[in-house]
Amino acid sequence: MITVIGWLLGLGMFALMAILVVHVLFALLLIVPSWRIFERAGFSGLLALFHLVPVVGPFIVMAVLAFSDWPKGEGRPKPAHPA
Amino acid sequence: MMGFDLAALLGLFGLTSAFALVGLVLAGWMCWRIAEKAGLPGWAGAAAILLTVTGIGSLISLILLWVFAFMRWPRDGLALAGASPAAAPGPGMAPAAPAALPLPPRVLADRRGWMLYDSRPSYTLTGEAGGGPDELVVAEPSVGRPHARLLTASGRIGLQDLGSPGGTYIDGARLLPAHGPRDITAVRTVKLGNVELALSRT
Repeated sequence: MITVIGWLLGLGMFALMAILVVHVLFALLLIVPSWRIFERAGFSGLLALFHLVPVVGPFIVMAVLAFSDWPKGEGRPKPAHPA
Repeated sequence: MMGFDLAALLGLFGLTSAFALVGLVLAGWMCWRIAEKAGLPGWAGAAAILLTVTGIGSLISLILLWVFAFMRWPRDGLALAGASPAAAPGPGMAPAAPAALPLPPRVLADRRGWMLYDSRPSYTLTGEAGGGPDELVVAEPSVGRPHARLLTASGRIGLQDLGSPGGTYIDGARLLPAHGPRDITAVRTVKLGNVELALSRT
C-alpha cells in the first residue's frame, strides 16, 4: 500500500513538474516580446514577468500597457497642456 | 441522473464560455488601446486578439505579438508643434524632413508643427537664421541666437540650454546650461524665452 502511495506521489510530482516546465516555456514565448514592448514604452522590462502568473498574467501585462501613460510617449495625441 | 449530469456539464461549458467571451472582449479592448498608443490603428490590435477564435488563431496572435514588438512603430516619429500663446506671430520650427521630400521654409508664420526625425543627431534652436543646415528658427525677439540645442536619438529627444538670457523651461522648470542635455521625450511643453512649444508624437 505504501509503495502504491509512493508511486502515486512520484507520478504526481512528475506531472506537476512537467506542467510547470511547459508553462514556463510557453510564458517565455510571451515574455521576450513583451519585455521589448515594455522597454520601448518606457517601462521596466521586468513587468513582462507577469506572464509567469497563470491565467491572469497576460491580462495584467495588457492592462499595464493599455491603461497607463507610456513614459516614452504615445502615438495618440495627448490633451493640450494648459498654458 | 443522466439528464442532471448533462445539464451540469452544459452549465460548466456555458460558464467557461462566458468567461472566455469576457476575457476575449477585454483583451481586444486593451490591445486596441495598446495599438493606438504605438501609433497603429486600434482595430489592428483588436483584430490580432480576435484571431484567437479561429482554429490556429493562438499561433497567429503569438506571431503578431513578436512582429509588434520588433517592428517600427509610427509613434517612433516625433512631432514638434508650435503652440505659442505669448508670441504674436507664433513660433517657427525648421524641419528635419526625409531626404526625398523638399525642405519646407525655415521660418513659419503660423502654428504649424514640424516633423522631427532622428536621422539628424542635433538641431540648434535660434531666433534668427544663420544659414546652418541644422537650425530650427523661432522668430521671436526673446529667443537667443542661438538659444538651445535639440538632440535626437533612437526615438528619444533631448534639450540643452545654451545660456540665452530669455531662458529655457521644460514643463515650467528652468533649464540651465549647467544642467547639460535633458531628456524631454515625455514632457509636454518647452518654453524658449516667451515662446511655448508643444511636444507631441505622431
